[in-house]
Amino acid sequence: MSVQRIHAIFEKDLKDLPRNIALLMLPVSNILLALIYSLTVDGEPPIAFLYLIAGATFSMVTSGIMMSMIAEENEKNTMRGLIQSPASLLDIIIGKSLVTGIITAISLMVSLMIVGIEPLMNFRAIIGLILMFLFFLLVGIGIGLFSKSLAATSGYLMPVMFLFGFTPMIATFQLAEDSIIIRTTNTFPIMQAIELYDNNFWMPLGILTAWIIGAALFTFICFRKVMTDD
Amino acid sequence: MENAIEVKGMQKIFGEHTAINKVSFNVKQGEIFGFLGPSGSGKTTTVKVLTGELKQTVGDVKVLGIDSENFGSSAFKSQVGILSDNSSLYERLTIYDNLKLFCKLYGAPLKQIDVVLREVNLHDERSKIVSTLSKGMKQRVLLAKALIHNPKLVFLDEPTSALDPGNMAHIHRGLQKLNEAGTTIFLTTHNMEEATELCDRVAFLHNGELQELDSPNSLRYKYSTHAFHVETFKGNRLVIDNQPDQADQIRDLIANGEIKAMHTDNPTLGQIFLKVTGKELE
Ligand SMILES: Nc1ncnc2c1ncn2[C@@H]1O[C@H](COP(=O)(O)OP(=O)(O)OP(=O)(O)O)[C@@H](O)[C@H]1O
Ligand SMILES: [Mg+2]
Repeated sequence: MSVQRIHAIFEKDLKDLPRNIALLMLPVSNILLALIYSLTVDGEPPIAFLYLIAGATFSMVTSGIMMSMIAEENEKNTMRGLIQSPASLLDIIIGKSLVTGIITAISLMVSLMIVGIEPLMNFRAIIGLILMFLFFLLVGIGIGLFSKSLAATSGYLMPVMFLFGFTPMIATFQLAEDSIIIRTTNTFPIMQAIELYDNNFWMPLGILTAWIIGAALFTFICFRKVMTDD
Repeated sequence: MENAIEVKGMQKIFGEHTAINKVSFNVKQGEIFGFLGPSGSGKTTTVKVLTGELKQTVGDVKVLGIDSENFGSSAFKSQVGILSDNSSLYERLTIYDNLKLFCKLYGAPLKQIDVVLREVNLHDERSKIVSTLSKGMKQRVLLAKALIHNPKLVFLDEPTSALDPGNMAHIHRGLQKLNEAGTTIFLTTHNMEEATELCDRVAFLHNGELQELDSPNSLRYKYSTHAFHVETFKGNRLVIDNQPDQADQIRDLIANGEIKAMHTDNPTLGQIFLKVTGKELE
């Protein structure tokens, strides 16, 4: 690992991202979503809604941009050039993660400010948001590594968005409280972040950590697969 | 270490298909080595094995004294420059920003960017976005990228295939200068004039097997019929064997002032290529 090489990748991707219209659409549509809501609904938004906005940001922006950046390097064969240089795959991923982190922070701030960020300005909420970021970042890295093309990533991004990004929406399907779907999705990262926010502390923290470990394992397997591919 | 590359009994098998079959050769430190052969003969596959992109199925491969097991090490990567047949650039960035990235990844000083841009004749275009460049210009940026860290050994897979004669000549001079400064060059090409002009030695590959390996001049001598081709002022064309019993005939022609032109029958590398491979030039 080398700070200089991480910085080189970071600088390159930071310069490239504003010129990549397809990728810019992700944070833009996320902010639009928040705008539409704030224009149509009056008054204080329910807390689950703030987390829905956060989930949309993390899935579309964090996972979406991360997997697209890596998959595009695979598709355009530029990854080869990076690997041929002394940069390690870890340097490349960390450099890209930093860019993704900045874009995530900006679009999360902007979209939450549009709907009302105050309820989330506390320690528990911020811990939950950081853990969610890590989870979605790792998912994005893993999917990016095994995606050979940009087109493939959009197929993977959809389920990530609907399952993990928009989990609070499932409550609007009017399923029974104790149905298997509700009980399962209640353990998903966003629901646990909400739980962390307004109920327990340690239990949801543990479950969120387990999700991150699971995502890290998934990413590690993808990482190994890429390293040993002929 | 005298050899930059040492290959012993190398074989590369893709499924059922043997792309390279028991190939052995050495490339000396400081030479320009040409790897020639028809399309599909295994040139790119060889470059990929020598640069660690593919692993050989069988055989010993050593580059700059480093065993192929360790081609992933930074010791290997920092000494080797690669222009592969599928290298590509960041299309939305400028030439300069592309090279800056690799300059930093290799830990080379930023002033190297200007040095290599001059070498490939692109210094005035450095602020152009890559997606707006012609194929030949992109090819030259890729060459600049391969040279940015001043590598000891460069692998160039068809570096001049998209270039016009002017730029080709410029690149050839650049490669010769680079070589005089001590860089070993491993080059594949379909251009036989290029190989004749640049290479100290060339290897002919056919169906994954090495057919010939020598200097262009030695090969031309080897494949020569050793006859003299004579054109007389009367318009006759004679072929005279280079044999003692033919000496009188040549002496008479000279004595009578009949010879308009006379040359030995050394084939070009292109003709040798056709003979060795039994294929048309691509
Ligand atoms: N990844 C692969 N899987 C299967 N077969 C392959 C693979 N790569 C190359 N081959 C086969 O190996 C043979 C040699 O290919 P290679 O690309 O090395 O040829 P080449 O000499 O570089 O040709 P060209 O002059 O057209 O670039 C071909 O028959 C090709 O189809
Ligand atoms: Mg080839």
